[in-house]
Amino acid sequence: MSWISLDKAKKLEEQFAYAKVGNSNEYVYVEVPKENLIEFLTFLKESPDYQFKMFIDLTIVDHDVKSDPRFQGVIILFSPEFKERIIVKTWATNEELPTLTTLWSGAKWAEREAYDMFGIRFEGHENLVRMFMWETYPYYPLRKDFPLKGYEEVELPSLNEVERGDQLEGMFNYSRMHTAIPTLEDLEITQKARMPKKSSQIVLNWGPLHPGTHGTIWFLFDLDGEYVQQCDIIIGQLHRGVEKIAENIGYQQFIPYTDRMDYIAAINENHAYVIAAEKLMGIYDRVPEKAKWIRTMMAELSRINSHLLWLGTYALDLGALTMFLYTFREREKIMDIYEGITGARFTINYFRIGGVFADLPYGALDAIEAFIKDFPQRINDYERLLTRNRIWLSRNKDVCIITEEDVYDYGLTGAVARASGVPYDLRKIDKYDAYGEVEFDVPVGEKGDSYDRYLVRMEEMRQSARIVQQCIERLRKFSKNDPYFFQPEDPKKLKISIDGRGMKLPEGEVYASTDNPRGELGFYIFNKKASIKPYRVRIRSGAFYNLQVFTKAIIGRPIADAITLLSTLDPVVGETDR
Amino acid sequence: MSVKKVGVKPQTLIEKIFFLDFMKGLSTTIKHLFKRTITVTFPYEVLQPTIRFRGVHGLRNVDGTESDDFMSWVKKLKIKPPEMGETRCIACKFCQAACPVPELFTIKAEKLNVPEDHPHHGLKVLAVFDMDLSKCMFCGLCTQACPTDCIIHTDIYDLSAYTRRNWVLNKEMLSQIADDFVSRRRDEKFDEKSKWREDQPLWPQDEEDLRVRAKLWDGNIPKLGPNYFDQQEK
Ligand code: SF4
Ligand code: SF4
Repeated sequence: MSWISLDKAKKLEEQFAYAKVGNSNEYVYVEVPKENLIEFLTFLKESPDYQFKMFIDLTIVDHDVKSDPRFQGVIILFSPEFKERIIVKTWATNEELPTLTTLWSGAKWAEREAYDMFGIRFEGHENLVRMFMWETYPYYPLRKDFPLKGYEEVELPSLNEVERGDQLEGMFNYSRMHTAIPTLEDLEITQKARMPKKSSQIVLNWGPLHPGTHGTIWFLFDLDGEYVQQCDIIIGQLHRGVEKIAENIGYQQFIPYTDRMDYIAAINENHAYVIAAEKLMGIYDRVPEKAKWIRTMMAELSRINSHLLWLGTYALDLGALTMFLYTFREREKIMDIYEGITGARFTINYFRIGGVFADLPYGALDAIEAFIKDFPQRINDYERLLTRNRIWLSRNKDVCIITEEDVYDYGLTGAVARASGVPYDLRKIDKYDAYGEVEFDVPVGEKGDSYDRYLVRMEEMRQSARIVQQCIERLRKFSKNDPYFFQPEDPKKLKISIDGRGMKLPEGEVYASTDNPRGELGFYIFNKKASIKPYRVRIRSGAFYNLQVFTKAIIGRPIADAITLLSTLDPVVGETDR
Repeated sequence: MSVKKVGVKPQTLIEKIFFLDFMKGLSTTIKHLFKRTITVTFPYEVLQPTIRFRGVHGLRNVDGTESDDFMSWVKKLKIKPPEMGETRCIACKFCQAACPVPELFTIKAEKLNVPEDHPHHGLKVLAVFDMDLSKCMFCGLCTQACPTDCIIHTDIYDLSAYTRRNWVLNKEMLSQIADDFVSRRRDEKFDEKSKWREDQPLWPQDEEDLRVRAKLWDGNIPKLGPNYFDQQEK
């Protein structure tokens, strides 16, 4: 991965007496005191030698109840100029940190999340309210002293008990007591807090359950006639505390949970996680070639799969119903192939830390090849229907422009960033797995309007098909006896298994990310000491940050564009909420 | 880095006046009008799940196809050596340890109540094996952890129920499910040592199934061949 070199970081140490440079595995971090944080970050952002102007992530690590100071802020930045990354750490003494929103607007939601989950207050934040939970929720769930089960304080019998008199009491761990749930009143308070100042007459609620929102997102629009003056988004309806689960479960055992984040592209979620864990284990370079190629191929198929769903529903939302039927026909073939290879169509759990769990079944490459041969023609079909259609053009062209500045400011990634002319593609920058050895182009747009985002994704599907084709050719050269799972030289020292029992990961920290259909998905794993469970897992979700720009890009646009914008941002709620 | 600019020329006047964009779109639609139907008319036609499909679990019984180290596992865990038709489960709880939702299992072994001179004195048998499938993710980790190839995924996918109670399967039910599955599809999935067959095809190769599956492949289902250069043709 492309991190700032240690030498270059050492120069920072010379310049700023308070900065301390360290490194773990391959990456470099700088520790600065809280008081100097803003000054330091401003320098990083603006100095021509560094230019870390792209915001990637902000998160908190809870160093246990007893440690003082207890919370540490971790900020990840990227320099588009030098194609390198840096991590800045700072201790949040008194559970407070200065806000970064003056430097990057993208920090707005990240800070709200940190406040929501850890109770860290950010001085100067314009409206520090909760991100996922409702406003009256009393706890901070990601703190280490919050139990995994939560506090069960509401009695909530099952419908079976109430209506059928079927006593479930005593069955397994079934319990009538549940963790807190919001009441209508709580929701009202939340809604008011999210948009404290109304500027016009009407506030339109869109969602949380509306077919157009593609999941459970709750939009608030402050409308002046048809035009949006202010907008906020309430998410969290699908929040399951995936990060908390990760901290309480074995390493391989966590992979099925990643399936359930971005369920449209489950394979890509697995991919990011296994790469991060492999890097932490230090086996990433020794994972068998064959596994890497299989993973690359599956990940690209998954990208096509995900983009097909995006295209179908996006066109459906804009009134082109037939597209949905066409794209689902192709999707079905990919799912059929998945089912044959992995045993599941949707929540796949095929990748493992150390490779994949099984070799390709007989005939898998033939089926994929048949699909890929036929696929470009299908895209042409789609494009014939849509690309030059005048209704399509007028609903998409110049709609909700996202500028290059916004991309850096909000930490946008994936197709959204590329459509705005930023060729930020981790497959090229990091060259993880076999991406360094395949040829493909990174499509970029010019304007950053919805139409560009559409074109970029269409082109991405073509490029993915190209990559898959190359993977098939390469895979055919392997022998059937080549390993598909990592074999340690000394199994006593390094225990690794497909089912994950007894696997221990060493102490250290790592941030690794992959380019998912929905942007950069990064896993920050922090391990205080070698253990069978990670100490802290932070999931940097591309969909989360991409959705944030919605609140800006929609301002001044008619309400009908909300559908277009949301579809072209293409968030998946499982990943935004985690 | 190879970067490709995307962009489309604006509509020309001719395109606009003669509605060429609509014509083109319509031609695609009309072309599809004469294509074959791709829908599988469930439930009249049922597509068999693929061989690796991860459906409802089953507990396999001893049927002479155990792996070579089966007996040594039985000894290690002090389980009464199972006879033909008895469960292979040795109550080792490996499946539970590998499961992302461990609380869905209840596994208990019991000491046999036999006099001291009985050969089975001091040995155990599996007493309880309950799985609450409403909590299961069908991830497959348990089947990969099982040392005796006892717990398996079958191809059953319809497990809707009126009450949560019906999602809890006990060991008799699980054995039955496995027996049924094994009698139908054992040779397709497992080799004679109960391991996954190396040459499992991507999808079932019986004729009826291929006919149905061909529908969703636009009537043009790919022929399966070897993946790797040294793999044998089937
Ligand atoms: S399939 Fe996964 S979740 Fe279900 S019992 Fe097995 S290990 Fe547990
Ligand atoms: S791993 Fe297999 S043998 Fe062990 S308890 Fe589970 S089903 Fe039984």
